Amino acid sequence: MQTPEFQGTHLWDRLCWAKENLEAYQSDYRVVYEDSIDECAKILVPDPNWMACALQGGILPPVWVYHELAKDEASEGFKRHTRGYLLHETEPVEAMTEEEAIEYLILKDCPRHVWENYNEGNRPKMVICKKEQLPQTRKWRNAWKISEELNIAA
Amino acid sequence: MAGKIIADTLETGAGADISTSYVVNGSAKAWINYNGQGTIAVRDSLNHSSLTDNGTGNHDTSFSASFNNANYSVATNNVAEINHARGAYGVGVAIAGSGTAILMTTSAIRLYSNYNASSTSNGGGVDHNLNLLNFMGDLA
Repeated sequence: MQTPEFQGTHLWDRLCWAKENLEAYQSDYRVVYEDSIDECAKILVPDPNWMACALQGGILPPVWVYHELAKDEASEGFKRHTRGYLLHETEPVEAMTEEEAIEYLILKDCPRHVWENYNEGNRPKMVICKKEQLPQTRKWRNAWKISEELNIAA
Repeated sequence: MAGKIIADTLETGAGADISTSYVVNGSAKAWINYNGQGTIAVRDSLNHSSLTDNGTGNHDTSFSASFNNANYSVATNNVAEINHARGAYGVGVAIAGSGTAILMTTSAIRLYSNYNASSTSNGGGVDHNLNLLNFMGDLA
């Protein structure tokens, strides 16, 4: 299905269009990361409707838009967004592969301090894996950590 | 997008009318139904980009279209298990002891699932199957 010309259309309206017209896509990819030594590993799961938008193209704004809005929100005295138009008026990104969509999602939804230097230090702080590679039960879930014996593909 | 209708009021055939601002302001701008057990997964949603499993009963969800400010409202669910001594299960906004939300920004929110204390057990975090949430507020 061809994506309508959406630049200038409110992002929420685009998401409603996608909800009506696109098949949700359940990705098997998961992003495991540690953002604090005091907490267990976290697992990011892509939303199936969002993933459908990413694979379709022409719907989602570029990820830098979210970074700009995050900067605004972190500024002193923030009350409400005044640059929300960036979400709606910036040219949407083209169709992504599933792997590119995961990279986008990491930049959007993982803490910046995790993805900026995930591979520094004695062991990785973030790993992309398939859901089958995760523990099959949630036993001791609050103690899960990324294995130090990972054999990570470059 | 083609097919735009601009109207201030909607009216039924019987003459009852309602301002379109009720519809615009009163609609959920995001909703989600997810399974917090096993390898957690979103069953269906609108306006979410990801769900993060932070530990037992502890989840973050991120929005695709951000809210205008962090003062939006969240409608959450409780479920009661038949024939179980424990209290009802629930999911809600995760708050600190001070009563403030642990994470509630215009683009993400932390949720916590727990079961309530009863005469026979203490409450606590729990991974439960049916987490249903609606988010209402103004979008950016």
